[in-house]
Amino acid sequence: MKSTLTQKIPSLNISHLQLKQQGTSLLSLNEEVKGGEVLTIMGPSGSGKSTLLNWLVGMLPSDFTATGELYLNGQDITNTASHLRHIGLLYQDPLLFPHLTVAGNIAFAMPKGDKQTRQDEISEALNQVGLAGMEKRCPQQLSGGQQARVALLRVLLSKPKAILLDEPFSKLDSQLRQETRQLVFEQIQRYSLPAVMVTHDQSDALAAQGKVITLDTVSLNEVAS
Amino acid sequence: MRLSKCLNNYYRQLIMSLCLLSVISLSSNVFANEVNIEAKSTSRAWHNVEKRGTKQDVYFHAWGGDQQINNYIQWVSDQVKQKYQINLHHVKLTDTSEAVSRVLAEKAADNHRNGQVDLVWINGANFASMAKYELLAADWAGELPNFELTNPTNNPAMTRDFGVPTQGMEAPWGQAALTFYFDSLKVNDVPQTLPELLTWSENHPGHFTYPKPPDFLGMSFLKYALIILNEQQPANIKEKLYQEATVESQVQLLPQLWQFLDRLHPTLWRQGKHFVSNGLALRRLMGDTELQVSFTFSAAEIPSAISRYDLPDSTRSYRMKDGSLSNIHFVAIPYNSPHIEGAKLVANFLLSPEAQSRKQKTAVWGDSSVLDLSQLTAAQKMLFDVPEKQHASANIINIDNTRLLGELHPSWVKVITEQWLTRYGVQ
Amino acid sequence: MIVANTLFTRVVRNSPYLLIALLVVPVLGGLLGVLLPAFGWFPALGAHEFGLFGFVQLFQTPGIERMVLLSFGTSLVSTLLAFIITILILASYFNSPWLKRIQRLLGPILVIPHAAAAIAIGFLITPSGFLSRLVSPWLTGWDTPPDWLLPHDPYGLSIIFGLTLKELPFLLLIALGVLAQPEIGKTLRAQHKVASSLGYCPMTGFFKVILPSLYGYMRLPLLAVLAYSSASVEIPLILGPNTPPTLAVAIMQWFSDVDLSLRIKASSGAILQIVITLSLLGSWWLLELLVKKCSAAFLINGEREHGGMLIKRLTDMITVAMLTIIGLALVAMVLWSFAGFWSYPDILPQQLVSLHWTSALLQMQTPLFNTLVIAISTTLIAIALTLLVLEAEQQNTKTISAISGFIIYLPLLIPSIAFLFGIVWLFEQVNSQHAYVNVVFSHLLFVLPYVFLSLANSYRRLDPRFSSVAASLGVPPSKIFWQLKLPLLISPILIASALGLAISFSQYLPTLLSGAGRINTITTEAVTLANGASRRTSAVYALMQMLLPALFFILAWAVPKFFFRKRG
Repeated sequence: MKSTLTQKIPSLNISHLQLKQQGTSLLSLNEEVKGGEVLTIMGPSGSGKSTLLNWLVGMLPSDFTATGELYLNGQDITNTASHLRHIGLLYQDPLLFPHLTVAGNIAFAMPKGDKQTRQDEISEALNQVGLAGMEKRCPQQLSGGQQARVALLRVLLSKPKAILLDEPFSKLDSQLRQETRQLVFEQIQRYSLPAVMVTHDQSDALAAQGKVITLDTVSLNEVAS
Repeated sequence: MRLSKCLNNYYRQLIMSLCLLSVISLSSNVFANEVNIEAKSTSRAWHNVEKRGTKQDVYFHAWGGDQQINNYIQWVSDQVKQKYQINLHHVKLTDTSEAVSRVLAEKAADNHRNGQVDLVWINGANFASMAKYELLAADWAGELPNFELTNPTNNPAMTRDFGVPTQGMEAPWGQAALTFYFDSLKVNDVPQTLPELLTWSENHPGHFTYPKPPDFLGMSFLKYALIILNEQQPANIKEKLYQEATVESQVQLLPQLWQFLDRLHPTLWRQGKHFVSNGLALRRLMGDTELQVSFTFSAAEIPSAISRYDLPDSTRSYRMKDGSLSNIHFVAIPYNSPHIEGAKLVANFLLSPEAQSRKQKTAVWGDSSVLDLSQLTAAQKMLFDVPEKQHASANIINIDNTRLLGELHPSWVKVITEQWLTRYGVQ
Repeated sequence: MIVANTLFTRVVRNSPYLLIALLVVPVLGGLLGVLLPAFGWFPALGAHEFGLFGFVQLFQTPGIERMVLLSFGTSLVSTLLAFIITILILASYFNSPWLKRIQRLLGPILVIPHAAAAIAIGFLITPSGFLSRLVSPWLTGWDTPPDWLLPHDPYGLSIIFGLTLKELPFLLLIALGVLAQPEIGKTLRAQHKVASSLGYCPMTGFFKVILPSLYGYMRLPLLAVLAYSSASVEIPLILGPNTPPTLAVAIMQWFSDVDLSLRIKASSGAILQIVITLSLLGSWWLLELLVKKCSAAFLINGEREHGGMLIKRLTDMITVAMLTIIGLALVAMVLWSFAGFWSYPDILPQQLVSLHWTSALLQMQTPLFNTLVIAISTTLIAIALTLLVLEAEQQNTKTISAISGFIIYLPLLIPSIAFLFGIVWLFEQVNSQHAYVNVVFSHLLFVLPYVFLSLANSYRRLDPRFSSVAASLGVPPSKIFWQLKLPLLISPILIASALGLAISFSQYLPTLLSGAGRINTITTEAVTLANGASRRTSAVYALMQMLLPALFFILAWAVPKFFFRKRG
């Protein structure tokens, strides 16, 4: 019974995770994030934030080891190849593909399908974030805020089952930062996606309105000593 | 690059011919006599040459693809250093035409005094070319005291290069004849005439080839074939081979060659679809055992190659019974050499009994002397009389019972090359 | 940045002009020296009238269309193959430790001179070669060498094989160099990660995300490879057919033909060669447009897995086959260099002797000395000039213009056979009698671009704030250059020097032509002997050609480590 229930409510379950670097323990975590919730991870650099993200997307560098499991919507994906996990990633850089147009960048992310339907979907999505009519633009022609929004659409329209945010707003100035942040959290709720956000910024954590975990520096000191 | 081209300098040789027209020999006699008279009256001039040539740097452009020859030139360089304090630099060419182009380029740039080439090893078409464009210093060979020892008065071959009068532009250096060789373990029925060669190749397809013209050795094979195939022609037609090629003489003489090659080619190595670019590649293919019968202009390279494992120990050499093409090779001085006296001293030393006898030794180079032994003193003759321990392949089978075939007029080279390339050059 | 006006800064400021002059004057002058005779002006031959008879003669040459086709086909196919294999390797081993390993295995081939590589491949695939021996007689029943048409096949397959093998490491290194640049590499890797998080399998992600960006950085080197291979002489000469040969080889032979009137036809041929090279570059550009157009829809169709496994297997096979071939070729060369008599089909020689090495090493002293003197002087000049130009760039705080950037590639893009003969004519005009100087000068044309390309990245990566900080402390620019930048760059400088030396070692045509044949180097000797009578001597020289650059690369790699350890 329990398993069918967890399947219906989207969730990302980090179960008994222990991350080690060359045998030294880096962090341990046991958390469940439900659809629409944002789990915020804070902490100084070196505390293992990005290692955690790498583990979540299945790209843990070889000098790290991990024990524990990762469940997405009840399914164990601990050993699933990264490209089969359906976990979307949003970086501080928009990382748009320079060889594709705005529409191309989004289409790249969308599942296969009828050309016209996809085009309509893209136009509609662009419209929603205030980028109507910019399909044919090159990413380089967009402002930073516009690029961030395209990057967001690209992740969302790929129909991910969860989303990871890696310092997503750190390169935006404060006005833009607020707007974009609001947009992102709205969309996360709209699509009911479990989200994990790594950030330095207290205001990001506040705006996320979810649980905040602060990784301490003890592990760092241990590694250093 | 250059390696593809004929390694002309390598094989320059000839005993020019027995069958030349009396008119030609008459004219060369006259010419040689003039040279003699001049030589006697200029022994003082020679003294001046010695005075000025001492301590000069002489750049000797000579084909450098054979280690034995390179070593010999090194020895020459040591000798002239001792005798005249001359610094002889061997500029190793892959192709003599490199030197020809250099002098030509210098002439084009109006560099008429300060050329880079002081002495060049040359004969045949390269000589004809340089002579045609007036790139050589003239009338100096007769000045060399040792030139007398070749007995030019009675040996017209010393003053003609492929039938073209040298006019004192060249001093003879050595001579050689076309020699065949085979692996005695693999070949039982050695082909000893041109028709036998065709039959043998038909019976053993893929084991014989010749270098693509205009390679010197390949051209020499074609000349040999051309002479033999026209043997039955009347004398007045045959002798056209030794004159400037005309439309008429081509029609009379060449069809025999093309018919022969049309039959031979399908039986050759790679079905005659690919030809090696130079003569030395033949020896490598013999070493690889891809070929079983091959030929060369320098018979001495065979025992030396065996000693270096490049040919099987069972290799033996022989001359074709129906004739062996032979020629003489020379050294020449470009018209713009800044060290002409030094170059003359070197050329004279190359003709000395000491240098010529050493060159003739199989272990050194094995290139036949151009000196006439009758002109030498007893002591000088002794130099040529040193018995050597030799590999069996150094004894050339048939050497005494085959006749030497004279070189064709140089104009045939171009004619044969062009028509060969049209017929077989695109496969 | 306002820079003090000292001698140092003046030298620095003017160095780019010197660089450009050193590259442009000889190339354009050389072209002029070929252009005039091509249109019939050759006073030395008594030809004073402009006309097209050179071209008439050229087009009457039997098989000329085959020569053109062979030149065109072999270079296009080999470049395409090398590019495709490079991409396959990158795509299959991207983010895998194997990429570094393959790079390490293939890297040394880059510095092997073309002639040596061709000789090695010839040793392998010739009917009596190592491959045929390996399978005979137990598998094939051959006890005499088979009469197959490799090498020298009329379709140029052997040439394609040789060129591909030689071009591949170059392209791979260029691509890895791009990926190693901090900015570009990091972005591309992050984009690949994005693609992966969007559900793209690594292979497809590579093709759809990295390749389109990466290609932009590889275009110019690719065109250089294309241009070079269309006019290269060593490989087609040693491995190609001669009934007829490629156009470049034919031109080379006409230039050196006894019949001096062929010079005019050869010059016309050189012009035709330039046309071929240009049309190859044009074809590549068209091909690029076509691929771009056709793949536009493919890039965004949402398909996330395009037979990745199959391509990976294929790449594995190609890589293993290639490494095996290279390994076997090396083994064969070493065996030949020590072989006593070695009859077919024995896999090993009957006896091993050191005779070939001892006699070759004795004869090698002068050429070895020449090789080193020329290479070292060329490289020193190239390094000094490159450093000055890059310093000028930093002092002006802008990279050199697109035109200058293109000019650096000029000697690599114009077929050298077309301008080298003209350069010799140029040397004659200025009556330069100093063979060494001439050779160094012509080597510089080919060494300078590589040294510049090799050093530019590292130099530009230097944080300009170092200089600002130092300058604010009152340190003059010359001191910053000598005491700050050079020590920081010691490693890249040594690598660039090794590359410069290797390029100089491998030059054949420039050495031969501008040295008036008076200067023998290991490479000119090797080529002289390559088609010569002895496989054994040829193997020794080819190995020597490989060892020499390898030695300097090892030095370049080891010296900084040694100093580092000493300081530590």
